[in-house]
Amino acid sequence: MSRKTALLLLPGLAFLAIGFLVPAVAMLVAPPGAETAAVFTRFGEMLVDPYELRIIGRTVALGLIVTALCVGLGFPIAYLLARSTSRWGGVLLALAIFPLLLSNVVRTFGWLVLLGANGAIGKLLTSTGLADEAPQLLYTPLAIVLGLTQLFLPLAIISCYSAVAQIDPGLDDAARGLGAGRTRTFWTVVVPLALPGIVVAATLVFAGSVTAYTTPYLLGGSGQRMLATQLFSYASVSVGWAAASATALIMTILVFLISGLSSLAGRKGATT
Amino acid sequence: MRRPVAATLAVLGYLIMIVPILFVVATAFSAGRTLRFPPEGFSLQWFEAAVTYDPFMESLVSSLYLAIGATALALLLGVPATIAIHRGKIPGRGLVEGLFLSPLIVPELVVGLALYQQLMIGFGLDNLTTLLLGHTALLLPYAVRVTGASLALADPAVEEAARGLGASPVRAFLTVTLPLLRPGIFSAALLGLVTSFNNVPLSLLLQDREFRTLPVTMLDYVQQSYNPRIAAMATIILAATVVIAVIAERTVGFAKIFGGINR
Repeated sequence: MSRKTALLLLPGLAFLAIGFLVPAVAMLVAPPGAETAAVFTRFGEMLVDPYELRIIGRTVALGLIVTALCVGLGFPIAYLLARSTSRWGGVLLALAIFPLLLSNVVRTFGWLVLLGANGAIGKLLTSTGLADEAPQLLYTPLAIVLGLTQLFLPLAIISCYSAVAQIDPGLDDAARGLGAGRTRTFWTVVVPLALPGIVVAATLVFAGSVTAYTTPYLLGGSGQRMLATQLFSYASVSVGWAAASATALIMTILVFLISGLSSLAGRKGATT
Repeated sequence: MRRPVAATLAVLGYLIMIVPILFVVATAFSAGRTLRFPPEGFSLQWFEAAVTYDPFMESLVSSLYLAIGATALALLLGVPATIAIHRGKIPGRGLVEGLFLSPLIVPELVVGLALYQQLMIGFGLDNLTTLLLGHTALLLPYAVRVTGASLALADPAVEEAARGLGASPVRAFLTVTLPLLRPGIFSAALLGLVTSFNNVPLSLLLQDREFRTLPVTMLDYVQQSYNPRIAAMATIILAATVVIAVIAERTVGFAKIFGGINR
């Protein structure tokens, strides 16, 4: 490596080390005022503690539901957009990407108005006589699922769109010409060819859902704790460094696990 | 409708993405005192309440400073690193690039905790410096990846030709390489500003009475008061975001920057 190249690279690397790598590692081995092994001891305790397990379980379960919903709704959108010849296609694609630019806080507030005690959905149910009194919608798992689906649907659409757009529409026509119906063509030609994109979408959505903070904080409240809100409460309210670091470790392991599984699936898909 | 099932699912998806945002806007124009629907009457009073509310305006300025500072730093550090990665002969290039992209794979809340615990509590660093460090680390992957994409498209032979025609390395960089990188740098800057400004998880633990970011201030506000002032502030942010989206569309192409489509 020439001296010039090193000079271009080193400031960035140094910054990365101070602003990210060293603190991240130090958090695991040396939380202030705690022993080195404290984080790992606490980590082991959490994995057998029913209260912590319920939070981990809720985080994973809601993450899986949101992933299924985002792929289930996002893939049809991506498919229709990629195959659309209408001039509205571009507008609808922009409308699907635009939320990515918009603050998560702004996007999530809408659900407070929709699901809250004086919210639109409760009003609708009572005024049409479907319910005698407005049901509790806010601070439920349903609210979190809706909020996270709204948040991550654009990511799923984009990943699936890139995959579908690469499939030659001629293949659809060929399958149809050989006698396959529309549904059969979709499931035996389009979906298998777009599978790498679907895997990427699922990975991004799951990793995002199990680490999201704003949504469970605003829509889940203290009754529906997830790993992210639990981590914050350990780190801020009660000064439990070891517990906070251990929760961070669980969250990171979850994300690494899903990324590892997804790249394994990608590699397997490439060889078969 | 030729594909009834797909079309139904698509409509449902768009409703989930868009309807909540419309409800925020509708309540912002309310004449009533609480966040409810349908809004009671029409007025602009909550917009006035939002822009004259000091905690919102002070944290708005803080968030803008932070976003501009972190984006500038990430580009200053990231663009030279990108050039080194793509043009220099470095052993283990994949590893070096992976290192620059690594902040993307660790949950932001975890990074926030690490910086809070190690730098603010452990080292006694003030929260502005810590926020700036954290946001810059968060934006470095975007700077390296987005400018890298436009550098990969550029032919190194053009720079060599400039050198061969007698340009000094600095002049070749300024007159040939930099113009080639301009769309990449512009995209990375826009992406960086938006990402930093909107961030919650990384900034959450790094707040201080003196220096707070707007999204976190808004989250705190809902815990205390439940009125349309917050909806008005959210609508202002929405309007600003639409302007940025239009600028992005007119310059580099919106889907290209934010969707990574056709990259």
